[in-house]
Amino acid sequence: MIAHDIMQTRFHSLSPRDTIAEAVKCFQSASASEKKKIFGLMVTDHNDHLVGMLSMYDILLFIQPKHIQIWGEMEDLDPSVLYDERLEQVKSILVGDIMTAEVVTITPDTHLMVIADTMIKKHIRRLPVVDDQEVVGIVYVSDVFHHLLDKFIV
Amino acid sequence: MPRVKKRHVLSGIKVKEAMRRQVIKLPQSAPIDYCINRMIKYKINSVLLTDEKQRPGGIVSKTDIMSAFYAGFPTHTPVENILVGPLLYCYPDDELESSLDIMHHNGVHRLYVLDAAASDVAGVIAYPDIVGLLYRYCRACDKGLLKTRRRQVDDDYRRLKVKDVMTAAVTASHENDTLVNVIEGLTEHRCGAVLITNAGNKAVGVVSKSDLIVAYKHGLAVGVRARTVMSAPVKSCPEEAELSDAIQQMLLRDVQRIFVHATDPAKIVGVLSLSDAARFRSGSCRACTSSRLMQL
Repeated sequence: MIAHDIMQTRFHSLSPRDTIAEAVKCFQSASASEKKKIFGLMVTDHNDHLVGMLSMYDILLFIQPKHIQIWGEMEDLDPSVLYDERLEQVKSILVGDIMTAEVVTITPDTHLMVIADTMIKKHIRRLPVVDDQEVVGIVYVSDVFHHLLDKFIV
Repeated sequence: MPRVKKRHVLSGIKVKEAMRRQVIKLPQSAPIDYCINRMIKYKINSVLLTDEKQRPGGIVSKTDIMSAFYAGFPTHTPVENILVGPLLYCYPDDELESSLDIMHHNGVHRLYVLDAAASDVAGVIAYPDIVGLLYRYCRACDKGLLKTRRRQVDDDYRRLKVKDVMTAAVTASHENDTLVNVIEGLTEHRCGAVLITNAGNKAVGVVSKSDLIVAYKHGLAVGVRARTVMSAPVKSCPEEAELSDAIQQMLLRDVQRIFVHATDPAKIVGVLSLSDAARFRSGSCRACTSSRLMQL
């Protein structure tokens, strides 16, 4: 079995020029239309070439104050006030400014075992499937899990 | 334990207790564009550059990127063209105070920490990390501001005010000045941000090095007006505020400086940077000098 057989061909993507607010909105609409939680989105340029990935984790990391470990000890701070101000502050930041550009990709003929191996060793939960620079699909760890382990169910 | 007459709160603390272990590295061949991405994402002021054999070769700071913007380098230029070396470093078991002296002496804001075998970079120590550490000690202190407030009693220790530590000279640019003027002002005064004023001489915004590198990455030209990239409104605190409150505001907002106003919030009289606060080497009150904290 290869990537082509298990990849999802319906996927959502962001543009590097999108704002963080637009990215958050896209995470919500993608999760709603796919009826499952989407934790990471591909970032593609105007030629539909993959230029990066952005995960929920990236956005959270960015919104958090850098010295957050100090605030963990404080009980007298109201986080909602803090976050309101932070959101105002990051308005000028775009998806391209915080996305990960070093993306591990696979091709449609990558074998399922190789995909599983890549995901485990590199701690990746989703792999874009790229065919001659063009994004053709995405394989989630859940797809790999269900395809590989279905036979365990008796 | 020998009696030491004068000690301050940082005495006896090792670099490894204050350093940040996450070191953001890039190969020297990476484009400036991606280097800016790493700086924004991880909120760091410099990126460690490694050569083909993964050895640390030098660093690139926001200042270097700002200079590349000024010089008109395209953002796809490899960072090795603006690399600064050799690396200034210290070791995990060094005294924090001696590292602060090295930083002060060399006019830099951070040192990389090499592991004991000197083979790899184990961490990085920068002024904001030290201020963060001081702040934690202060909160844990019996004489700390929070605890005093709870007890509703005054103590005899005179607390440092913002006006004691701030720099009274503020570099300012007009909102219609170009980024060229702003960068020249920043370079001349070796500061991290300039205040932007309008025709009525009122402070309307701030342009920091971070704003400039974001503008560079977004493809803006150095000829654009300061008001197009400035962050507004100006974040400021009263000059009579306690130093520890100002430090808290800076750490919370991820800014490295806060402007200081007199009674009238529209009148900016100075600027307080995290580096100033760290150089002062005391948390927020004179109580620290009695070394009480070291016994915690």
